[in-house]
Amino acid sequence: MFLKFSPRAMFYGAGGGNDIQWCFSQVKGAVDDDVAEADIISTVEFNHSGELLATGDKGGRVVIFQQEQENKIQSHSRGEYNVYSTFQSHEPEFDYLKSLEIEEKINKIRWLPQKNAAQFLLSTNDKTIKLWKISERDKRPEGYNLKEEDGRFRDPTTVTTLRVPVFRPMDLMVEASPRRIFANAHTYHINSISINSDYETYLSADDLRINLWHLEITDRSFNIVDIKPANMEELTEVITAAEFHPNSCNTFVYSSSKGTIRLCDMRASALCDRHSKLFEEPEDPSNRSFFSEIISSISDVKFSHSGRYMMTRDYLSVKIWDLNMENRPVETYQVHEYLRSKLCSLYENDCIFDKFECCWNGSDSVVMTGSYNNFFRMFDRNTKRDITLEASRENNKPRTVLKPRKVCASGKRKKDEISVDSLDFNKKILHTAWHPKENIIAVATTNNLYIFQDKVN
Amino acid sequence: MEVQKEAQRIMTLSVWKMYHSRMQRGGLRLHRSLQLSLVMRSARELYLSAKVEAHEQTEVPSLPARSPDPRLHPLREAQAAAEAASPDGEQPCSEPMDTQEAPRAEETPARCTPHPAKVSRKRRSSSLSDGGDAGLVPSKKARLEEEAEEGASSEVPDRLQPPPAQAEGAFPNLARVLQRRFSGLLNCSPAASPTVSPPACEGKPACRPADNMLNVLVRAVVAF
Repeated sequence: MFLKFSPRAMFYGAGGGNDIQWCFSQVKGAVDDDVAEADIISTVEFNHSGELLATGDKGGRVVIFQQEQENKIQSHSRGEYNVYSTFQSHEPEFDYLKSLEIEEKINKIRWLPQKNAAQFLLSTNDKTIKLWKISERDKRPEGYNLKEEDGRFRDPTTVTTLRVPVFRPMDLMVEASPRRIFANAHTYHINSISINSDYETYLSADDLRINLWHLEITDRSFNIVDIKPANMEELTEVITAAEFHPNSCNTFVYSSSKGTIRLCDMRASALCDRHSKLFEEPEDPSNRSFFSEIISSISDVKFSHSGRYMMTRDYLSVKIWDLNMENRPVETYQVHEYLRSKLCSLYENDCIFDKFECCWNGSDSVVMTGSYNNFFRMFDRNTKRDITLEASRENNKPRTVLKPRKVCASGKRKKDEISVDSLDFNKKILHTAWHPKENIIAVATTNNLYIFQDKVN
Repeated sequence: MEVQKEAQRIMTLSVWKMYHSRMQRGGLRLHRSLQLSLVMRSARELYLSAKVEAHEQTEVPSLPARSPDPRLHPLREAQAAAEAASPDGEQPCSEPMDTQEAPRAEETPARCTPHPAKVSRKRRSSSLSDGGDAGLVPSKKARLEEEAEEGASSEVPDRLQPPPAQAEGAFPNLARVLQRRFSGLLNCSPAASPTVSPPACEGKPACRPADNMLNVLVRAVVAF
């Protein structure tokens, strides 16, 4: 009897050390180095079961991959992800009133939990959120009386008998159709969407405001946070990310460019301008530098699956916060501390503005985030071990175990180490996703999507 | 002085980035603009403090001036080290500037003043030529705007070769422009901005509600 999931990998789920070994599984996307701008991946998200994996790109397209049913005989490999559906979610638009082009780039995708045969997801660009229904069609009616099979109308005078059309099987077709369009509610650029645990409402956040929507209602939304100052010259911080609590439907958090996170309770008042909790860590004075202010900006915030913790990502680190403790994070992990002395160069080449995301594994024991040179990092919260891996086509034989990488910050470079100066800052991993139940991860480089799995013996 | 030059360079770079971000698809992004303005403000503060330091040092060589900004303390240490003529080129990572820069400790205060603006003007051009903004240097733009406001009209190239006496004054124009423009950010008493007239239609890049701050920032960099 073969076990479907190795319990060891499932519950230990460690990111480093001997507990888990990550193997290359698949890579999707063009091979050539010349990257078409429209192909740049801008978001990656597994659905609630992990069977579907959605990516959005700068060209406004959404590509959904579906995991094959596992081969029950060969238990050493999990199902592969193959293209399930591709559709154009957003098109470029022009705001004539403001003389502004609105980019079609997909900023975020969020899946709704499955309620029936169809799948639903929300996708958003800078201004408009859309609810898409993805449904399968594997039968079609045949035997109409007035139409030929190809659709041409039959001459009624040639009809001599009547028949009842019947459904016959056909090749599977996956259709995506926009069911709702939530537009005209954001003056600034949307950075986050988050579906509430009531599965009826969701929030969308831009630089200064957060709106609450009902999934069925498109012509209005409630504004629940507004941090726009009366005089814009007094603006000192913007909203950078927002998320609903996974269990409490009245609670959400939003992060700011100043490195703070505010937790709000919608029961307290209609406009949640006054936070219930403010999470902020005092700045370490020894780390104070010219660019301190901008590297403390939080680029992503994610609740743990349990809802007890939340994780934030700023330019150099990942922090885990206990919702019960506001004055400092309970854990801090340095992603690429060797960049602290390079901030000026990173400002010059704009890399200092990169917005990295982060994610939890299914059991909340390991967190993952991206870095430069196509490196990504995992931190095991229990063993306190961390590992750096690289997404590269060089290791592209399935089940090749990934070799841990190491960056040499200063001093003598050991064999196999990479010096900071040879890092390729054009190769950045901003978006990563972890399967909700298994040790399968999706890592997006500029225009390729890598899928890695743990080695199942 | 190195610190002044570096601050100038960063200010100019930021101004250029702000201008360039207008050209992006999707228009000005509020978060990016805010971050750039934060860096500009820090650079300006650094520049002005360093300038004050330089003046004080020529008068009182022994005592470095006190500064309220803790950010400048590492700099003061660097300057103290320079004065003590320590040969150490390796700065601690609390050094605000990129530690890859040439060791600051080797610079002596005596070398700081003569033609910093002229040297920095050269540096500025070279750093901007990478950006592809051919010809037009933001400092030129800022100065042109100054002159436009003062009602003067003169040729751009002439202004690029000011005599050394004026060179010192040329850069402070940019600083003054930025100071006036960002007075709101600095929480000074709000500078009257009657000079910021309602923008012309075609020059307007930002969301109308996103407004005054962005207009102000944008106008600082767009001369025409």
